[in-house]
Amino acid sequence: MATTTLEPRAGSYHRSWVLDWLTTVDHKKIGILYIVNSFLFFFAAGFLALLIRSELAVPGMQFLDQNTYNQAFTMHGTIMIFLFVVPVLAGFGNYIVPLQLGAPDMAFPRINALSFWLLPLGGLLIFSGYLFGGAAAEGWTGYAPLTSDRFAPGVGTDLWIIGLALVGTASIMGAINFIATIFKMRAPGMTLMRMPIFVWTILVTATLILLATPVLTAGLIALFIDRNYGGSFFDPAVGGNPILWQHIFWFFGHPEVYIVILPAMGVVSEILPVFSRKPLFGYKAFVFATVAIGLLSFSVWAHHMFTTGAVFLPFFSFMTALIAIPTGIKMFNWLGTLWRGKLILATPMLFSLGFLSMFLIGGISGVMLASPPIDFHVQDTYFVVAHLHYVFFGGSVFGVFAAAYYWFPKMTGRKLNEPLGKIHFWIHFIGFNLAFFPMHQLGLSGMPRRIGDYSPDAGWTILNMVSTVGAFMIAVSIIPFLINVVATLINGEPAGDNPWEGNTLEWATTSPPPPHNFDRLPPIHSERPLFFLTQGHGHAVERPEDLVEEEIVDEKPGDIERRPKDLV
Amino acid sequence: MQPTAPRNRLRKMLRVGIPVLLTVLLAGCLLPPDPKTEAGRDVFNLYLVVLALAAIVFIGVEGFILYAVFRYRRKPGDDVLPEQLHGNNKVEVVWTLIPTVIVLVLFVVSIMTLNEVEARSENPGVTIEVQGFQWSWNFVYEDGPTIGPRGNEPPELAVPVGEPVRLILTSDNVIHAFYVPQFLLKRDMVPVNENGTPNDIEFVVSEAGTYAGQCAEFCGTDHAGMVFTVNAMPRADYDAYIAAIEDGETPPTGGGDCETTIDISANNTRFDIDEFEVPADTAFCIAFENLEDVPHNVAILSGSEALFEGSFLNEAGSIIYEVPALPAGDYTFVCQAHIQAMAGTVTVTE
Amino acid sequence: MSARTMQAHPSGEHEAAAAVAHGQSGMPMALVGMLLFIASEVMFFGGLFATYFNARAGFAGTWGPPEGGHIDLPLAAVLTAILVASSFTMQFGVWAIRRGDTGKLKLWTGITLGLGILFLAGQLYDYTELGFGLSDGVFSTVFYTLTGFHGAHVFGGAIGLTVVLARALRGQFSRQNHVAVEAVSMYWHFVDVVWIALFLIIYFLR
Ligand code: HEM
Ligand SMILES: [Cu+2]
Repeated sequence: MATTTLEPRAGSYHRSWVLDWLTTVDHKKIGILYIVNSFLFFFAAGFLALLIRSELAVPGMQFLDQNTYNQAFTMHGTIMIFLFVVPVLAGFGNYIVPLQLGAPDMAFPRINALSFWLLPLGGLLIFSGYLFGGAAAEGWTGYAPLTSDRFAPGVGTDLWIIGLALVGTASIMGAINFIATIFKMRAPGMTLMRMPIFVWTILVTATLILLATPVLTAGLIALFIDRNYGGSFFDPAVGGNPILWQHIFWFFGHPEVYIVILPAMGVVSEILPVFSRKPLFGYKAFVFATVAIGLLSFSVWAHHMFTTGAVFLPFFSFMTALIAIPTGIKMFNWLGTLWRGKLILATPMLFSLGFLSMFLIGGISGVMLASPPIDFHVQDTYFVVAHLHYVFFGGSVFGVFAAAYYWFPKMTGRKLNEPLGKIHFWIHFIGFNLAFFPMHQLGLSGMPRRIGDYSPDAGWTILNMVSTVGAFMIAVSIIPFLINVVATLINGEPAGDNPWEGNTLEWATTSPPPPHNFDRLPPIHSERPLFFLTQGHGHAVERPEDLVEEEIVDEKPGDIERRPKDLV
Repeated sequence: MQPTAPRNRLRKMLRVGIPVLLTVLLAGCLLPPDPKTEAGRDVFNLYLVVLALAAIVFIGVEGFILYAVFRYRRKPGDDVLPEQLHGNNKVEVVWTLIPTVIVLVLFVVSIMTLNEVEARSENPGVTIEVQGFQWSWNFVYEDGPTIGPRGNEPPELAVPVGEPVRLILTSDNVIHAFYVPQFLLKRDMVPVNENGTPNDIEFVVSEAGTYAGQCAEFCGTDHAGMVFTVNAMPRADYDAYIAAIEDGETPPTGGGDCETTIDISANNTRFDIDEFEVPADTAFCIAFENLEDVPHNVAILSGSEALFEGSFLNEAGSIIYEVPALPAGDYTFVCQAHIQAMAGTVTVTE
Repeated sequence: MSARTMQAHPSGEHEAAAAVAHGQSGMPMALVGMLLFIASEVMFFGGLFATYFNARAGFAGTWGPPEGGHIDLPLAAVLTAILVASSFTMQFGVWAIRRGDTGKLKLWTGITLGLGILFLAGQLYDYTELGFGLSDGVFSTVFYTLTGFHGAHVFGGAIGLTVVLARALRGQFSRQNHVAVEAVSMYWHFVDVVWIALFLIIYFLR
């Protein structure tokens, strides 16, 4: 058992801890702020999801009127994407990337703090529409000309625009920070091809954010000008073009989808090897596939616009088919990692396996949607709602929970309770499939998305009911998770430095790490620098602590190649 | 090795049971509605191909995950590391090729079907401008009437079966989308500026009947209420329908409005019923379904005089006949192509 | 799973961390940050230019300012000359400080700032003369949005120049230590390049 301190608060003189958190520039505290903030928004948007599902459980309008319903799904989608999934993964990135790089902090700590604090501000602005006559209600995609001042006169839409622009700016600053950190602050010996795969996915993600988000900002500004200063970008009545908005939105929006999924893939690619006790199968192919996805993601945006009649279908269909190839490679690499491993089915592993099996379904339905004739049938139906939740929820959010269980010990020094974690996983997994699998069939039989009511004769009632039950199961599954977090913080099992026998650098320091992260760094000869230290030559031996200690040598840039590679 | 025996059995059960269950699940549902247009049939067939590919990938990968979970699970106390396999170039080439082949096949068949869906005839049977507005529809017939919402009733788009119908999709407000699930087709109705051309679609309805349609692009507050029906009927009925509207009469209403509907089907040159009863002096409907590719219809005779003659279904299909009110009495109903073999009695009661 | 840990050293051995922090070779961090920021700005203007091309491609009638308005090509040419010149003066300042010549740095930065302000003044004057407003059709909208956002970036650059000038006057830069000068000059060149693209596309090629 570790004898390290659990609380890093050694030096807290009389400064209040509140002020401390509000003014911190430590990447670890900022990371935790990101995560906590994101989960608060997750609960808010989840509450809206329950409202939506309650309304749809049976035909007829019961709880909401049409307008409230429209606001609910708009806020649900916007908040889930921009204030939950993206920032929560950025939060884990913030905490973990410098540690995995062996760096003392991010490149620009103060900008890091600023880009965090813009988030709650932007999120609250988006939500504040509710206080001023109604939140935005045009869907998270905000298609023109429905968002023009003619059709959406309320100030809620302006607040949505401003909030999104703020959140976008925050994530651009965060992206600059990540890229600079990764390029400039790697520990001696850590070449690009020795970076943990999570860092690679964050690097590609940050690049996508850097290049895609400014385009959305430009679009939001154009929309704001249209609404408030009589501009005519998107309004056909005065010579504009509503399809232009869709091009701009999806030029950003499709990379955004990968912004949301790539870090989750990175998380899973960290966890699967550790809990299979093998290296990631095909590290190089995996890096290559990640970069390929990043590049291709800029050439597929119009597959969201097949039914507009305004895009060249074969090209975008082909590019979309292409992007499935690197994704398929990744899937096979994950399976190869499991193959002949020794699987330890702890909660992080369960959520990672959940990720594999659910993301697969989202991927398959995605490839189906790449076929224009099929898309003509299911576009804008519940089939798409099913698809996007299998990717965002079954993919990213399962990844988020995997990351939470995996890195919680590092962040707090305590390990989440395993039985409670397993209860959480199973209710979550079953509820998720109950909620979203039936939506495939609803969409195929023609139920459009974004409707608060449907005809009792349409034959959609039973499946909608099932879906609502599933949604409530998901909500219930969060209860054991919260209990687990609170109980563990109060009185959890101490984790030690490396409870999972992880092989990346974050496990080479105390849990939680000291403010400067590392006292000493081990030598780095592969993407698993700790493997040699913890596992010896091919089998787990009980090593006396002091032997381990001996291995931790101070490395200078010059002696990277001092140790022959084949030891590792 | 005692404790492994039941485990093995469980494993075997799962190994067989789960793929079977999933296949049933995938094949039993997850289908679009039975298509009612010719191109819709092509899309449906394409969908079947794609679904089959999807099912193979799904079962393969999920199966492997399950297999791995059971087969490679670490035994308690097993501290020996597995072989530290870093990769294998040959395998990686193979599994780059697998998805490549799958998506290329998918791409090629998709484009072939796309050409069918996007085909345009030189002279469509009818051309109708569909105007979307917040939150209903106007159907503007070329050289003909305009049909809009009728009170609280959703508007009805009347089209002839068996010939190409061209729809010009316009909007002068927000974007809507024309969607009829049973046609497996939708297209956005984009407001364009002076320089733009509106979208159009074309289809051949293969079967008479009424089909629900709905706006599929979110268009504001009452988007959910923006519904319509398509009423597809034989050319003669269609002409009468349009003529009635031009004369300012209410057109013959669709089957949905009948107080009494009699279901009759035909198969093996037989009706499934040989008698039915309806109230006197009230119009009623016959929902007729032809189950074989042999021409049948339903006619109502008084002696040898036909009081009602339904149009023929020349192949399998269904139609709703609207039968005018009959005085009380006994009549016969027949298929006029098979008067001997297909006949029954109609009792009209006070 | 047994917790196998490596004991952290109890007291102040921060060499490793320090080595990381100091081991930065190559481009200074601030310049990396600035380059990345400029990359995002390129995409931002890319988005705005895309709206311009889209509007132009879908426009019925002759593309240009609405009835009764005009755009002033000669004035725009003069403004272009001013901004391009300021790029040169900026670079002279950078070269000066690379040699350690702080006096020249102050001089050239001052001139650059002056040219920048002249450009902004010229643009504002231009706006009052054109005879059409932002809400007068598609051309007007994209024209004012593009030039306006470029102007805002020039303004931002001018603030950066002011800071550099102030710090130069206080003697805060030296041959070894002048990252801020390099960063602001990068940004200034970028803004200049955007203007050249704008000028070519909106005024020249139309
Ligand atoms: C608690 C679990 C969740 C439930 C029950 C749920 C349910 C739903 C439903 C029923 C819709 C369709 C609303 C409509 O079209 O009328 C929807 C839309 C959406 N959801 Fe979720 N959702 C959940 C979690 C998530 C998560 C985690 C994400 C993302 C990361 C997400 C992202 C979206 C998006 C982007 C939309 C589209 C909104 C729009 O149409 O503008 N949802 N959700
Ligand atoms: Cu609509």
